[in-house]
Amino acid sequence: MQLEYFKAKGLLDKQGIRSIESRYVGSAVDAVKFASDEPIVLKVISEKALHKSRAGLVMTSLAGKDDITRAYSGLERKARQLAPYRIIAQKMARSGIEIILGGREDPQFGKLVLIGLGGIYVEAFKDFALRVCPITRYDAREMIAQLKSGKVITYSGKAEKIIEDLLLKASKLLEENDRIKELDLNPVIVREDGYDVVDIRVLV
Amino acid sequence: MPRKEFDLEPMVKPKSVAVIGAAREEEKVGHIILQNYINGGYSGRLYAVNRNAASDILGVKTFKSILEIKDRIDLAVIAIPAQYVPDALEECGKARVKTVVVVSGGFAEIGETELQDRIVKIADRYGIAMVGPNCLGVMDPRSRVDTLFLPTYKLSKAQIGGVSFVAQSGAVGSTVLDLISEEGFGLSKFFSYGNAAQVDEVDILEYLMKDKETKVIVMYLEGIKRGREFIEIAKKVTRVKPVVVLKAGKTAAGVSAAHSHTASLAGSYEAHEAVFRQFGFTIANDVSELIYYAKIFAYEPEPSGGRVAIITNGGGTGVLTADAVSSTRSLSLGEFSSGVSKDLRVKMPALVNIRNPLDLAGDADAKRYSDAIKAVANDPNIDIILPIVLFQTPGADSRLAAELIKIKQTVNKPMVVISMGSQYTQMHKIMMESGGVPVYDSPVSAASALEALYRYGLYLKRKQ
Repeated sequence: MQLEYFKAKGLLDKQGIRSIESRYVGSAVDAVKFASDEPIVLKVISEKALHKSRAGLVMTSLAGKDDITRAYSGLERKARQLAPYRIIAQKMARSGIEIILGGREDPQFGKLVLIGLGGIYVEAFKDFALRVCPITRYDAREMIAQLKSGKVITYSGKAEKIIEDLLLKASKLLEENDRIKELDLNPVIVREDGYDVVDIRVLV
Repeated sequence: MPRKEFDLEPMVKPKSVAVIGAAREEEKVGHIILQNYINGGYSGRLYAVNRNAASDILGVKTFKSILEIKDRIDLAVIAIPAQYVPDALEECGKARVKTVVVVSGGFAEIGETELQDRIVKIADRYGIAMVGPNCLGVMDPRSRVDTLFLPTYKLSKAQIGGVSFVAQSGAVGSTVLDLISEEGFGLSKFFSYGNAAQVDEVDILEYLMKDKETKVIVMYLEGIKRGREFIEIAKKVTRVKPVVVLKAGKTAAGVSAAHSHTASLAGSYEAHEAVFRQFGFTIANDVSELIYYAKIFAYEPEPSGGRVAIITNGGGTGVLTADAVSSTRSLSLGEFSSGVSKDLRVKMPALVNIRNPLDLAGDADAKRYSDAIKAVANDPNIDIILPIVLFQTPGADSRLAAELIKIKQTVNKPMVVISMGSQYTQMHKIMMESGGVPVYDSPVSAASALEALYRYGLYLKRKQ
């Protein structure tokens, strides 16, 4: 079962994993209000949708009342067949490198933590590294070094440190929450000055 | 659940062995096993057990039941049809047999899980350590224990050495054993543990970790029974000795009906691989890699760095080797220090360019190799010495092979030879390996073995 978005967000908050400001919106007006003149993202959240962007269930860079209203009704139309669903509005993350942070419970070895090149590249390149929880900082470093895209996602020392910290926190999150069966933070947008977790999926 | 450790020492170094199911008929498994003990020169006390026994089989004193043997038995090898195994095992228990190898098939592998559970219960009740069922069992060339039911003329015997090999599958096990016989590093212990009904890979790793004769552990795995316990032993064992692993099942479907990207990416094989990487195992992708890695760990100390010097008597092969080295994740070609360059310039003929790869030319003989290797061995910019010897050239012969063996003893950096060729080369390969010089048959295999050695060294040096 997929954990409700804000419950999942709450689990991340507790580990100090910061996710982007979000709110459910029930109407286009609601979404416009949330935006308060900043660009936003609208997404459909449904158990039935794993590949949201591919299915056209994510609309980004929405600025202004008209833009948001049009996107909202478009999403509503597409989401009908995915009911029950909700529409979530999020602030736009500034651009950076997209990674995936994940985890799952393995019947043999227990909790595993994963990092990889994120966003739309996950399935295409399958470039990821995996370890058993708990991991050490050495493990986190080795995981990043193991990625073919390692040098891309750690383009600076600061970004590398941010990703290492995130991996250690994700490992702790998985260890401390027995009931988490699967975890996807995808994408997490990493920049020199910080990061934003943009999408959260927790299965319990 | 924690459980007691099994003592496998009496299985591997038994003072007394009973073969249950020993038979006169040459094609029977029990006959072959008994014959192998005799051929192998096992020097402990050997007994045969056969319900319909004559007084002796193959000159070995034969009993109707193990209970009739007055001696305390360290190892009983059971090679009888599956349905009779529980009774035979029960008798082993009463006779206070310490360890048992059940060679017989016909248990969980064909769906007879109840029968398998029964024999585990019997073994547990009597505190017998049981390997199998459905396995080849154990081999130790030092103690000359050999429970394998493979005729000796079909399977060449490995030399005595420091590599222990653990294989769930008997087929892969016997193939690798056969291949190892052509390698200079030699065998310490062999375990084929089949269905792993009681003793499993965790128990065997635990034993081999403590075993002083084992320098390197090589494993072929299909599955792991106790994941968390495996992790605990994995953490400990690689601190003590290197482990090379080949895991089957790469292409098996990932987690089906996954709801997350993570689960669809990271299936069961990936989870195993993650554990191996995390705890410093060297992962092989096929049987030949198993042997390459086993060899490097058996012969060489971990290098202090990844800078390689290539010394060759063939220009093209030198370039190919430079390519192979540079294609690894962590190795590179070192640049000779100015001191060593000057030294080489004085010692090498004018036609030799002083650079890495160092091409000694097709007429290079023992003396030229010797001068070059000795100079390079002292270079602080070089961590690994990789001589290529093409025995097809006029200057390369047994004198060169002998010289390399001699130099090797004075070099305290990893030194690995690449030699490619057929009979004449093979002869020198065996000669050099017996003399302590590992020989590889291709640039890529040598480079990936050295890379594995280097990375294991990094793992050992890591700070937690």
